[in-house]
Amino acid sequence: MAEARDVFIVCNNVEELGGLQRWAHDIGRMFADRGHRVHLVGITHADRSHDYGHDLPYTVTVLHDRDLPQARGPIGTRLRELRHRLTVWRGAARLSALFRTARPGGVVIAAQVWAMEWVAQADTAGMPVIGMSHESYEATRRSSRYERVKRHFADADLLLALTDADADAWAFDDMSNAGAMPNPLHVTPHSVSPRTEPVVVRHGRLAFEKGQDMLLESWAEIASHHPSWRLRLYGSGPDEDALRRQAAELGVSDSVEFAGPTSDIEKALTGASIFALSSREEGFPMSIIEAMAYGLPTVAFDCAPGVRELLTDGRDGLIVAPGNTTEFAAALDRLIRDAGLRDSLAEAARESVRRYEPDAVLDRWERQFALVAGERAPRA
Amino acid sequence: MLPEPDVTVVVIVYNDAARLARAVRSVLEQSLPGVEAVIVDDASTDATPEVTARLAATHPDRVRAFTLQTNSGGCGRPRNVGIDAARGRYVMFLDSDDTLDRHACRNLVTTADETGADLVSGRCVRVFPDREQNWYPWLYRERRVYESVLDDPDLLYDTLSTNKCYRRDFLDRQGLWFVDRLHYEDLLFSAQAYVAARRIVTIPHRVYNWFVVPRDDTLSITNRRAELRNFADRLEIHRRIDAVFHAHDADRLARLKNVKFVNHDLLLYLRELRSRDPEYRRAFLELARSYLAELDPGVFAECNPLPAIGAYLVRHGDIEGAVAAADYAAKRGRKPVLSVEPVEREGRIHWSGDQLQTALGRRILDVTDLGLHSAPLDAFNLGGEVTAMHRSGAELRLAGTVVNPLGRIGADLEPAGTLEIRDRRRKNRAFHVPVTVRHEADRIRWETAFAPARRIRPVGLVDQTWGLWLRLKTGDDTVTVRLTSDGTAHDGVRVPVRPRLTRVAGDHLEAYVAESGEFALRIVGYRWPARMTLPALRRIARTALGRRWWQRFGRVERALIRLLTGRDTKIAVFNRLLVRLPVKKGTIVFESHLGVQYSDNPKYIHRALRERGGPYRAIWSYSGSRRGFPADATLVRRGSWTYYRALARAEYWIDNQGFPVGLVKRPETTYIQTWHGSAFKRMGFDEPTVKQGTRSEHDRLRTMIGRFDHFVVRSDHDVRTLVKGLGVTAEPLRVGYPRNDALVTGGDPEEQAALRRRLGLEDDERTVVLYAPTFRTDENGRPAARFEIPFDLDRFAREFGESHVLLIRAHYLSRAVVPPGLRGTVIDVSAEHDVTALMLLADALITDYSSIMFDFALLERPMIFYTPDAEDYVSRQRGAYFDLTEHAPGPVVGDEAALFAALRDLDNARRDHADRRRRFVEHFGEYDTGTAAKAIVERFFTGGDRG
Repeated sequence: MAEARDVFIVCNNVEELGGLQRWAHDIGRMFADRGHRVHLVGITHADRSHDYGHDLPYTVTVLHDRDLPQARGPIGTRLRELRHRLTVWRGAARLSALFRTARPGGVVIAAQVWAMEWVAQADTAGMPVIGMSHESYEATRRSSRYERVKRHFADADLLLALTDADADAWAFDDMSNAGAMPNPLHVTPHSVSPRTEPVVVRHGRLAFEKGQDMLLESWAEIASHHPSWRLRLYGSGPDEDALRRQAAELGVSDSVEFAGPTSDIEKALTGASIFALSSREEGFPMSIIEAMAYGLPTVAFDCAPGVRELLTDGRDGLIVAPGNTTEFAAALDRLIRDAGLRDSLAEAARESVRRYEPDAVLDRWERQFALVAGERAPRA
Repeated sequence: MLPEPDVTVVVIVYNDAARLARAVRSVLEQSLPGVEAVIVDDASTDATPEVTARLAATHPDRVRAFTLQTNSGGCGRPRNVGIDAARGRYVMFLDSDDTLDRHACRNLVTTADETGADLVSGRCVRVFPDREQNWYPWLYRERRVYESVLDDPDLLYDTLSTNKCYRRDFLDRQGLWFVDRLHYEDLLFSAQAYVAARRIVTIPHRVYNWFVVPRDDTLSITNRRAELRNFADRLEIHRRIDAVFHAHDADRLARLKNVKFVNHDLLLYLRELRSRDPEYRRAFLELARSYLAELDPGVFAECNPLPAIGAYLVRHGDIEGAVAAADYAAKRGRKPVLSVEPVEREGRIHWSGDQLQTALGRRILDVTDLGLHSAPLDAFNLGGEVTAMHRSGAELRLAGTVVNPLGRIGADLEPAGTLEIRDRRRKNRAFHVPVTVRHEADRIRWETAFAPARRIRPVGLVDQTWGLWLRLKTGDDTVTVRLTSDGTAHDGVRVPVRPRLTRVAGDHLEAYVAESGEFALRIVGYRWPARMTLPALRRIARTALGRRWWQRFGRVERALIRLLTGRDTKIAVFNRLLVRLPVKKGTIVFESHLGVQYSDNPKYIHRALRERGGPYRAIWSYSGSRRGFPADATLVRRGSWTYYRALARAEYWIDNQGFPVGLVKRPETTYIQTWHGSAFKRMGFDEPTVKQGTRSEHDRLRTMIGRFDHFVVRSDHDVRTLVKGLGVTAEPLRVGYPRNDALVTGGDPEEQAALRRRLGLEDDERTVVLYAPTFRTDENGRPAARFEIPFDLDRFAREFGESHVLLIRAHYLSRAVVPPGLRGTVIDVSAEHDVTALMLLADALITDYSSIMFDFALLERPMIFYTPDAEDYVSRQRGAYFDLTEHAPGPVVGDEAALFAALRDLDNARRDHADRRRRFVEHFGEYDTGTAAKAIVERFFTGGDRG
């Protein structure tokens, strides 16, 4: 058992229903289970709060009670920037006070780059700071976050990406503090899918980057060959109307179910036989980990290194070139036709996902803590 | 006893008091604890000993210092002293003028601990005053673990010893030391370490900052002697490395290392040779020649073509040919310079006429693939020389020669050219002087006389060097000539000049040959006051503060130039200002393939308009050369201010691909998008790479396509594929393709006769076969510049030369090379703008996936589909809209034998596929009835309905 530490996990917010927030609460609980004192910090409140339970084994703090002024805008930019800086300064002061409560050996994890602006301003009381990038390097590269990651995380003691490939990409891009840390498996399945329901499932926000539109296109290519099969889309989101319209235009309304949002992931996955990851962008897709753990074979677009880190094409899933909906349809078709293939991929996936069981991932975290804390590891 | 450190960083220093502290600080500030610095002073005579002592005193537990009694003159001995003193489990090396990245030791040591590697290497970055450059980045893209250097001998490219972390007991076990008294000790040390290491890991993390101080453009004589000695040292090191590899039974490594020596090291030396004096060149030649003579000749065959030529000619004493090879193997971003006269022998092009007696010589000097005989003349710069330079009074007389490779510059060379005196730091700033030009024997001679003081007005200080270039006009082409000199003509010539910053900034220009090989003038201070002020000002510019200001000046200047001439600026000015200008009724801006050609649908609409007469004004956009564009139209260069102004004021835009992204079309302008062919490959949003793009990428494409007011289609297939795939919201104009009218009606006999004459096919009765493949993409998904013809042209010539003639037309995005020996039988027609005329001329077509299939089918002539890479092309590259084998109106063949069999049996292809051809045309070209141009002209330009 390693030394017990104060671990501060700072996110943009810790209340929303989203992948990052779920990760923060899960990892917080796991750290706490190992005896660390965990502090979850949100910069702001979320617009819509999700219930992450009571009697949490860690403290939750939100730095700013009210909505923050927009940092950017066409008019009065200078003034807004000044206000933004004042806000950060006030929030950072609260953060500093929090950090001062830490015992020696503490660490700060800035889980998002926006949150890092506050951490950078705060007095970390000598604690090392670990920055994180929860999406693929390419996804960051294409977004406005890229410049901010390069600026704000440059001085962090460590910048953790989700996969080795992403860490290498950051390192090659002159972030010499780059390393890799996968997300831990965060579910403990009570049952696995019997793979008897003729259902292809996809859960996630109904939004452009999640690519349900491409999934519908693929589905339309094969739906008529498999009249008994359904495509079930869980989730809600801005694109819901457009997707329903698209399904109608493609003539697949009958075989596509919009099942709405769900928090019962177990029910959603065990009620299906195939999982389809149709995203345009991903980091280290938690939904693939879940599908693997619940015994589903996955068809996924090769949209981030995380996909290849999790799946080996043909062994525990099928991987398709990004955006190639025809190939995606062919892969779905193959799995629908071949129950034996579904079984073998799913069984291999359940075995291989064990790499991400909490203990293994937490050991890696402890090693990184020791490294950034400047503790010289014992030598054999 | 202090705790044993993890890493010892050996910092060597010689007379570098100013920077030593920075280097040592970078060691002390490592994020990994347990790093010690061992400073080894190579008997410095400046303040280095004091700095060293202070550092050791301030950090007694982490810095130790050693001093050599006498200067060793190299890096080897001090590093050995450091290795000897090292207490860490790992050893690294740092030079006093460089620094380590903050996390260098952490990244290297954790990797070594995790993998157990003897040697871990990280990325080195060369830091210039104004930019940074990765050292062999392709070796460091990602972390890689090698059991031995034999896993990837390319590792040998990185010969630095400094960006690496060595396990101490590995050095001890192998007895690895640096060699003393030779320069380039790194090379030998690294080679020994690589062959001995049991596991090697490379990591993409930046570990080492190599600060590069720009050299002065010319070297003093002592420096030149030193450089020759260095070169001799380098060769000696190479001999020893060869011996090491030989001893390790690793001859493959030796060969690879020598390939690298030729491709890289020797090429660098050759490139600089033009700026050196004849004596230096001779001495260099002797040294290099003796080493190259020891090499296995097989090495040359493995090298890149031009470096191989350089090395081969050095070995045979032809320094001029070797330097010319280096001219052509230009640095990235520069145009190749062709400064020799290649020769044609037995149907192939060779770099020079000598050394062709042996098979190896013929093979190495064969440069047919460069396409020197057929590439457009602006694909390279020509080499010229200044042979005489005299001053008489205020006047400067210059004369010289220019190569005329393969006699390609013919009688249409205009007698007047221009001497361009270019600011070497700013491409677009130049003074121009007229020159007279004439053919003489196989060379071109030029001469000029002008008064430099009046013609050349530099600012001073910011523009101290000026390159001399020639521009010659031959027909529609402008040829650019890079001038150089062998160093004899310009010696001691000096002409007065008046900088705008007054004589304080210099008073004369003197000639020299820059390191790039370019003949140039530089400002000197010869008389008072410049003799005093100019060197003083230069010294100031070299101080830290001066350099900072200088860099800032450069940055501001570059930003300003970008702002004033950049595309974004022009587009912004277009959208905000130019579109407020009144529209000129009747003006039409035509563009075909982004300005590359005068061709396709826009050309045929223009032609129909011309035949109709009527009040309109045609403006054609061109990029690159104006050759081939019509004389009766106004020509505007794509991307220029006039281009944007023309677009802003036009009543019509007609093009087949797309006007610049970002231009907002004003509502008064009507945009007729003709497109450039029906689709076999998936297009637009149907393409996987586009489909998976981001929302903003999608929006950009939609905005661009949304500008179309009319979209010409030739069948319902186009509506289902192009209109849907591109997301065209405009009304499909169901009139067919204007370019295809001629295919239905038979076209213009005079134009075809002219084409036959141009191609030398008058009264030729052989069957004309047109080969028109589409482009392929390279590993980055971009169109590959070079199209490799996937069948044996010689075999074609042998088997069909009597009865057939093959026209090869590469896609306009790529280039193919036809050996000159096949002249008359295989003809490269890629430079012809208009493919329609070529189709009319052809009796049969060979294609693959190109949209030419849809057009040629209208001719009812035999077609062969040659698709050796069908699987890969269709499935992996982007997918297709239909199965080619199912619909193809002719045999689909996958290998050369089948292709030639089909060619032998064209009648069969014609007869057997007649039905399929008819169905194909009905399906894909139902609106192509020969009246498209007329329909468009009537609808938009002469009919009542305008718009």
